[in-house]
Amino acid sequence: MSPAAQVFAVARREFDVERAGREVTVTTAPYIAAFVVLAGLAFGPAPSELARTAAGTVWLAVLVAAVTVGHSVAGVEIAEQSWDLLRGSVDPGPLFVGKLLAVWAALGLAWLLVSALVAVLFAAPPPGSAVWAGVFGTLGLASLSTALGVLVATGTRRRGLLAALILPAGLPALLAGTQLTTPDVPALPWAVMMALYAAVLLTVSWAVFPALLEE
Amino acid sequence: MTAPSRATDRVLTVAAASTSLVALVMALAVAPPDAVQGQAQRLMYVHVPAAWLAYACFATVLVASVAYLLTRDLRWDRRAQAAGELGVGMTALAIALGSIWGRPVWGTWWVWDPRLVTTVVLLLVYAGYLSVRGLSDDRGTGARRAAAVGILGFVNVPIVHFSVVWWRTLHQPATVLSPDQTVLDGQMATALLLAVVAFTLAGWLVVRRRVRALALLDHEPEILDSEPVRPLVVTAQAQP
Repeated sequence: MSPAAQVFAVARREFDVERAGREVTVTTAPYIAAFVVLAGLAFGPAPSELARTAAGTVWLAVLVAAVTVGHSVAGVEIAEQSWDLLRGSVDPGPLFVGKLLAVWAALGLAWLLVSALVAVLFAAPPPGSAVWAGVFGTLGLASLSTALGVLVATGTRRRGLLAALILPAGLPALLAGTQLTTPDVPALPWAVMMALYAAVLLTVSWAVFPALLEE
Repeated sequence: MTAPSRATDRVLTVAAASTSLVALVMALAVAPPDAVQGQAQRLMYVHVPAAWLAYACFATVLVASVAYLLTRDLRWDRRAQAAGELGVGMTALAIALGSIWGRPVWGTWWVWDPRLVTTVVLLLVYAGYLSVRGLSDDRGTGARRAAAVGILGFVNVPIVHFSVVWWRTLHQPATVLSPDQTVLDGQMATALLLAVVAFTLAGWLVVRRRVRALALLDHEPEILDSEPVRPLVVTAQAQP
């Protein structure tokens, strides 16, 4: 089986598992909706305050959603005791990319949902540069969630450590994403930073992933 | 990779102690107080070297983590762990000293300043790095996971350093390594340089000794090039 075929098989399997169990959808979507509503209550109700906090709310929600999604990266296989079988039958590179595509899709949808909710409830439509942030920010966070999700899920203790690892390491996505989602902020430096962040995390996560799969 | 040597430790101890003494005299007695900040500015001679040493430690974690993943030699992992521990301590020290310095100069212990926030986040990243070692009971697995986090965590280090350039911030921008060549008073610069050298030497010594302690915990004493410990010999003497 070629690497591309393995990637396709892993990604397809991830989507099939999600379609069957709706694990990520059921855990992430209600969480995002609750987060946005509670943030509106906490920061509002003045429209000016809501407009000022809208961009930060979007990226804080996406960042915390990365933790929720990260728990599912290898969680199903570990629970069903099929992780070793998957690890043994697929090369590390294609396994990483297949899992990454699934996590990226989940985080991309989470970003779309939270952006739509914030745009409507906070009356703060995002600028065009927010799309760049959505694409590259979720790619960087997906790389992080995939690598750290496997790292923590395959451990025997301290599974709650995932949030403590992802949240601080996601700082650049939070900062650049917030700036790119704020109207009238010069987009170019932040767009470069976001793309660099995604590229570096993608490369490093791909490079260290085989070491995380070893017994 | 060379084995730790007690002779090198002795040289490092003497060098670190003497440099620290000279730096202390320069910082407290020779260098003038800042024209605006007064005596509080002297905290710079500890705050900046602590931050510098933290960066150096995190760079060591990166290099040692990559080396561990390539060689699977636990000696690299011990170097990464020792440097990570010292880096976390130095980051905490830099934050605490910055807060003490900020009180008289900014009028507050804490502000939501990009440099302060990113530094705290860096501390959390490397606290996570140290915690990852407890994910598994197996030594090799823990080392592998820690190496992965040690490499991923370094992404934040340049962001912390350049935060004072990229954002409008209360924190003073970089003076010595400034791109716009800001001039620092000669005596201040000398005191700061000496303090940086003293911290670097002391940090190097601490890491070496911690590496040796970790090796003992792994039941793998690192080879020392010093003479072996002589057995205690008790000789009985006849009473006159």
